[in-house]
Amino acid sequence: MSGASTTQAVSRSVAELDWSARIAGLVGALSLLAAFAAFIVRPGAVVFPAAVFAAVALYGWFTYQAETARSLTFLATASTLVILGVITVYLFVQAVPIARRMGASLLTSSTWDVHANRYGLATMMWGTLITTIIATLVSAPLGVAGAVFISEIAPKSVREAVKPAIELLAGIPSIVYGFIGFVVLNSYMMDLFRLPTTGSLFIVGLVIGVMALPTVISVSEDALNAVPNAMKDGSVALGSTDWQTTKSVSIPAAISGISAAVILGVGRALGETMAATVILANVTTLPEPLYDVFGNTITLTSAIASQYGVAAGRPMQLSALFAAGVVLFIVVLALSIVSQTIERRMQQTLGGEQ
Amino acid sequence: MSESYGDERANIVAETSAVDQLAVIPATFGAIAFVVGWAIVFRWISVTDTLAGIEYATLLSIGHLLAAAVLCAVGIFSTTGIVDTEPDDSTGLFTALAFGAIAFIGVGLTASQTLGTGATVWFPTSLVAAVLVAGVVLGVPEDLGVTLPVAAFELVVGLVVLTDVIGPSWVWSPNGFSASFVGPIAIAAFAMVGSLLCVWAGTNASKGFGSRGRELGAYALISTYAVALLAILALLIIFVVQNGLNQVLKGAQLWPFKLPFVLNGYGLQYDVNGIFPAIVGTVWLVVGAVVFAVPLAVGAAVYLTEYADQGRFTRIVETATNGLWSTPSIVYGLFAFAFLLPRIQNDVTLLTGQLVLGFMLLPLVLITSREALQNVPDEYRDASAALGVTQWQTIRSVVLPAAIPGVLTGIILGIGRIAGETAPILLVLVREPFSASTPSVLGSFHFTATAPFITNDALLGPATALPYQLFAVITAGVGASQEFGWGTALVLLCVVMFFYAIGITTRIYFRKKLRQ
Repeated sequence: MSGASTTQAVSRSVAELDWSARIAGLVGALSLLAAFAAFIVRPGAVVFPAAVFAAVALYGWFTYQAETARSLTFLATASTLVILGVITVYLFVQAVPIARRMGASLLTSSTWDVHANRYGLATMMWGTLITTIIATLVSAPLGVAGAVFISEIAPKSVREAVKPAIELLAGIPSIVYGFIGFVVLNSYMMDLFRLPTTGSLFIVGLVIGVMALPTVISVSEDALNAVPNAMKDGSVALGSTDWQTTKSVSIPAAISGISAAVILGVGRALGETMAATVILANVTTLPEPLYDVFGNTITLTSAIASQYGVAAGRPMQLSALFAAGVVLFIVVLALSIVSQTIERRMQQTLGGEQ
Repeated sequence: MSESYGDERANIVAETSAVDQLAVIPATFGAIAFVVGWAIVFRWISVTDTLAGIEYATLLSIGHLLAAAVLCAVGIFSTTGIVDTEPDDSTGLFTALAFGAIAFIGVGLTASQTLGTGATVWFPTSLVAAVLVAGVVLGVPEDLGVTLPVAAFELVVGLVVLTDVIGPSWVWSPNGFSASFVGPIAIAAFAMVGSLLCVWAGTNASKGFGSRGRELGAYALISTYAVALLAILALLIIFVVQNGLNQVLKGAQLWPFKLPFVLNGYGLQYDVNGIFPAIVGTVWLVVGAVVFAVPLAVGAAVYLTEYADQGRFTRIVETATNGLWSTPSIVYGLFAFAFLLPRIQNDVTLLTGQLVLGFMLLPLVLITSREALQNVPDEYRDASAALGVTQWQTIRSVVLPAAIPGVLTGIILGIGRIAGETAPILLVLVREPFSASTPSVLGSFHFTATAPFITNDALLGPATALPYQLFAVITAGVGASQEFGWGTALVLLCVVMFFYAIGITTRIYFRKKLRQ
């Protein structure tokens, strides 16, 4: 709804109320604002306005239940926007000092020098880029193939068992993957691939890719399933084999949903923290040469998780970690918006009469 | 749709030819070599182990050569018309490109690594080879284009391994990479790539090429992969169970019931150190997050579905929710560290952990609740409205009860997700991960004369949690405590899988019910 009609709707609903309800609403809104402001400025005092708000809400519930319910649900909706807003503000504010100090070189410099108090994010961004690429190379093709298997190839009984199993596997906590990677894979790689140190970007990418795989499979499978049966049946009726139908009808029709799934997987891989933190040795230097995927470096997420402790006494280093958080946040938010746009387009294309 | 057509087609194409009999050989070899390749990678067998007196490396290379010979024969039989097949005139662009890529990699590696030529030589050489292979495959009829390139690959691989050019003791350390590739890994990789090619070409040939052959080839390839994937993921879980079970059952007995690892704390007074404080901590974290997030999420979902006009406002909220949903967990941790921590005790507290996990739970529950509310048929609302019931009464007595299963499912799956999260609580929850005492939240409420009038030392004190404890095992350096880590991993896995299993089962149950 546009801003004008929102205002109209609000004023209309206010006009329908009697005086006591209007006063209660006003008091409630003011007290909630006061509580929020108090939490930001003086958290100790938050109890007073919060108590007022609770009292007003209770009064409203027993006298004007419908209106109160509507207002409370609206406040709940607004809270999601507020939370996103507060997260954004606090991340950015904390990242300002290092951005002031480093300028544009914050993103291009690979120095991470505690003594000179200069921190650049290039090393971490490179690590994140490499691990994300490897993870996507693992999860995208294998994920789509898995989805094709579940939705197009497997017989019904197999599908009904495999689909929930895959969803179940999406729940394995990342720290468990990290523990396996740390205990088993690191020594395996040193043993069989003769790596000089524990941990490598390759193993992190591989583990994250496998971790994202169930999600990619599950979401792509939903997209393939959403292709109307009429389209597939039409193709089969023209004499195509099932595989030709899959290849030329189902996958192209579901391609936007599948790409949304892949983007989702990329987002997961970017933000994955624990596996990267425990598998990598988190050295803050670029691999030499740059393309050495078996090298040991650091990612944006593992930098935050492994350095927040030592950064406690150094405001600038802490600020740099927040800058890393900002970079992650922006990239993931952008990916999320792209995948939503794609998904919306898919609903428009496939949402016609069936 | 596939089920209904499959049987009839099987009736139409009932005749078999000599080609399917023959083509079974490479397909079978492929299936076996695939398993053997994985077994070598997992180090269940070594390439130098023997079977019936022959080393696995030799066995594999003999298999490669056999597959090459049979595929070659199949191609020639088919193209000379000795057996009846229905190949297309050309092999298809995708297949040609795939073989071109394999040729590029093979020739490129040989030229640059074995012959030691510079980039000015190996790059054009391998490019020419790739284009040549792709062109030939594209130009010849399908029966030759499918069988001969695979046969050539198998021949080269078989000979290279058999003549010990790449044997068990072979090592390749490419320039610019920290890793070295050893013989067993190369042999396993050859076995796996070759086996997938064999499965594909063999099944393709067994249906006499053409569109039906391509279908079977693709299906066989994807099914092989799917089985491997499921097996590997299952092995992962089995592996954790196998390693952790001993630790979890240490000192356990049925009567009187004792499960010390799960029910003890961590300290000198215990004969078996346990993780009970972490379990209780995780429970309180989840309870707090649910109390904080679920009312907000369900309220917002009700507003968005029932009250708000579908337009810009709902779209903005949706975008924000999806943004929150995909925000990396460590960013939540940073946010809590910067925003919540200084405002609540200025120290790590259980309450901060609960709030930050609540922030994470909010979008998860909001999205699923919204879906559940949207799935309530409009007839319900219309019927209620037709009886003169107000909108709020309708929501309370008709819409919400109908949506409860979906909302519950969302909450359960969300709990599963946040219970296993480490990153958000990393910065704000824990002072001593291996704790002897459990936080007693219910018993710690105290009333005071000054603001905020009610305090709770347990809520406002540090706690520990299962995923954090596992992280602490790793950072503390393993060794003696590795067993402890496996045990923790198993318990954590059980807790999370339990929630997921319940969530998924209820969802399947209610979806089935809806469809009836």
